[in-house]
Amino acid sequence: MDYNKCASEILSALGGKDNLASAAHCATRLRLVIGDNGKVKKSVLENIDGVKGVFEAAGQLQVIIGTGTVNKVYGEFIKLAGVEAASKDDVKKAAAAKAPWYKRAIKTLGDIFVPIIPAIVATGLLCGLLGGLSKAFPDLGSTKIYTLLDIFSNAALTFLPILIAVSAAKIFGANVYLGAVIGMIMIHPNLINAWSVGDGSNLPVLWSWFGLWDIHATGYQGHVIPVVIAILVLSIIEKWLHKRVPEVLDLFVTPLVSVLVTGFLTMTVIGPVFSQIETWVLTGAQWLISIPLGIGSFLMGAAYAPTVVAGVHHMYNAIELSMLANNGMNTWMPIATAANVAQGSAALAVAVKTRNRKLKSMALPASLSAFLGITEPAIFGVNVRFGKPLIAGMIGGACGAAVASIMGVYATANGVTGVFGFLITTDTFVGYLLTFLIATAVAFAVSWILYKDAEPETEAVPEKPEAESKPAENYDDNCVYAPLKGKAVLMADVPDETFASDVLGMGAAVDPSEGKVVAPADGEVSTLFDTHHAIGLTLDNGMEMLIHVGINTVELNGEGYKAFVSEGDRVTRGQTLITFDIPLIKSKGYKTITPVIITNADDYKSIIKAADGDVDFLDKLIETTK
Amino acid sequence: MKQFTYTIKDEVGIHARPAGNLVKLIKGYSSTVTIEKEGKPAINATALMKLMGLGVKCGDTVKFSIEGDDEEASAKAIEEFMTANL
Repeated sequence: MDYNKCASEILSALGGKDNLASAAHCATRLRLVIGDNGKVKKSVLENIDGVKGVFEAAGQLQVIIGTGTVNKVYGEFIKLAGVEAASKDDVKKAAAAKAPWYKRAIKTLGDIFVPIIPAIVATGLLCGLLGGLSKAFPDLGSTKIYTLLDIFSNAALTFLPILIAVSAAKIFGANVYLGAVIGMIMIHPNLINAWSVGDGSNLPVLWSWFGLWDIHATGYQGHVIPVVIAILVLSIIEKWLHKRVPEVLDLFVTPLVSVLVTGFLTMTVIGPVFSQIETWVLTGAQWLISIPLGIGSFLMGAAYAPTVVAGVHHMYNAIELSMLANNGMNTWMPIATAANVAQGSAALAVAVKTRNRKLKSMALPASLSAFLGITEPAIFGVNVRFGKPLIAGMIGGACGAAVASIMGVYATANGVTGVFGFLITTDTFVGYLLTFLIATAVAFAVSWILYKDAEPETEAVPEKPEAESKPAENYDDNCVYAPLKGKAVLMADVPDETFASDVLGMGAAVDPSEGKVVAPADGEVSTLFDTHHAIGLTLDNGMEMLIHVGINTVELNGEGYKAFVSEGDRVTRGQTLITFDIPLIKSKGYKTITPVIITNADDYKSIIKAADGDVDFLDKLIETTK
Repeated sequence: MKQFTYTIKDEVGIHARPAGNLVKLIKGYSSTVTIEKEGKPAINATALMKLMGLGVKCGDTVKFSIEGDDEEASAKAIEEFMTANL
């Protein structure tokens, strides 16, 4: 059967991807959440080749396809719905495809890390807090509560490869559970924790390549890159098998072979190779900071954050421990602090400067946690995503690290950086303070200068094609031209007492077919609600107008609405004022009928709806006499 | 003249519907009513767009000044309306 044809027919019978809220599948059925059930052509659906039945349950529209085929139809279905959804961002997408491979690789790493940030923040912050507190109160370490909290605090990092594997599996399109299994294999308890052994010479041998190259039975705790590569391999193998294994065998053969092959490759090639690369980075780093005059530290301070991105920073504990064992002076930790607080500070500058609320609410806690020594949220959630803050943080980190080296700052322990680092740098308090402040200040300043909100859509070029297509000769100052496209409705028929009874003024309503409000005439935006569901205009002809998109939609708190102007702006006839997502608003149970109200109705003798049936943008909607 | 202040408790503040109802209520009396939000000049309470333009939000305090023959009754009605709706 033709999966693509089946999927596209299903999609069109649903009323297109605009009517689709979400899609999932189980062993036999597509489970779809639909915006407007009225648009679904059930009889058409049932007759599609490959569809064995359709019914509604639990708020879902369930389309029965069958075992072994449903996942393939689903794959095509998602592609069809997804490709169209992304078409709004065609430009962005094309740009992303053109980006050099290393940028795409970093973006992929970011995409993998962002979803697991909450787990790392929760346990990582606890880890930093516990570290700091137990340095301040040495007795704390022997208490029961400490033992308990200690388990909480390192669980996510101990099993980090599983989290990464799951997230990477989602990104690469592998089965999430198979991904988790690969992650589990890599840190299986029967393997020795690679961080708790010094050198690998006495370890049991797990595998031997032709008797020449022994692979030791060590786990990959705290590793990032080997896990990501392993899951990438898994996804390739799994997809390859899905295409070739007959449907009846797919359920058994594909998972078995995928895990077997990926697991074997991971434990014998991918893991060892990337561990080896990490060891080289470690050796290089040790050599680097031995360059005198702060130059080495300067470079390392800059390179530190990228090594966090690559996941190799977990090895720095080894450097720090060997320093402490050597002369009790950990000169690595101040570099780490400089780099960490600089990344936090760069993210903080973004948090302060951005006007994007979602970004702000994410960047702020991410920054805070970086100051406490946990940088992943700031680096992956903010700085890597925008690039420039990462560079700002690297510059700040470099400056701070150079200061630390010149001032001879050292720590007497390891595992703590940032604010709590003061507790283990009491011998060189002033130097540490300077390191901290300079890294913070430089990173903040550079990030502040470099970071700009990406092309805020609210400043998009005003669209005026409608204004041009409707020549102004026919313009009559005594008429109101439709700010929306759709069906003209008598105000008295608006299903809301307040509007219908003309409490707010008189006018007419439009039941919109397109989610856009344009200026009906030249004028000024006198009121724009924070929730963007209503806009007040004072037109140049003296008319005051309120356009209220939907009924009771104030309760949506702005969800589904986007404003393209702000209070006090001059607007010209036909300019886009607000766009709104009709299926979304309807799916939340609200009506999108939009009263267009002349609020200074007392200044007019008569206000009459002048259109019947459908109106286009800027068609005559209301006639008035003064 | 009668004056009183009221602190908004409604989550979304004075939005379209309550503003319209408030204007309608005030127009039912002959007294002149002005509303003042801290830091902004007082406005005529019957000017719907200006009233919504104040952007009164939850937690904001507004001051009503009512002057006219039926100011007692008007003030009482406004206060009741505010308490019941906002």
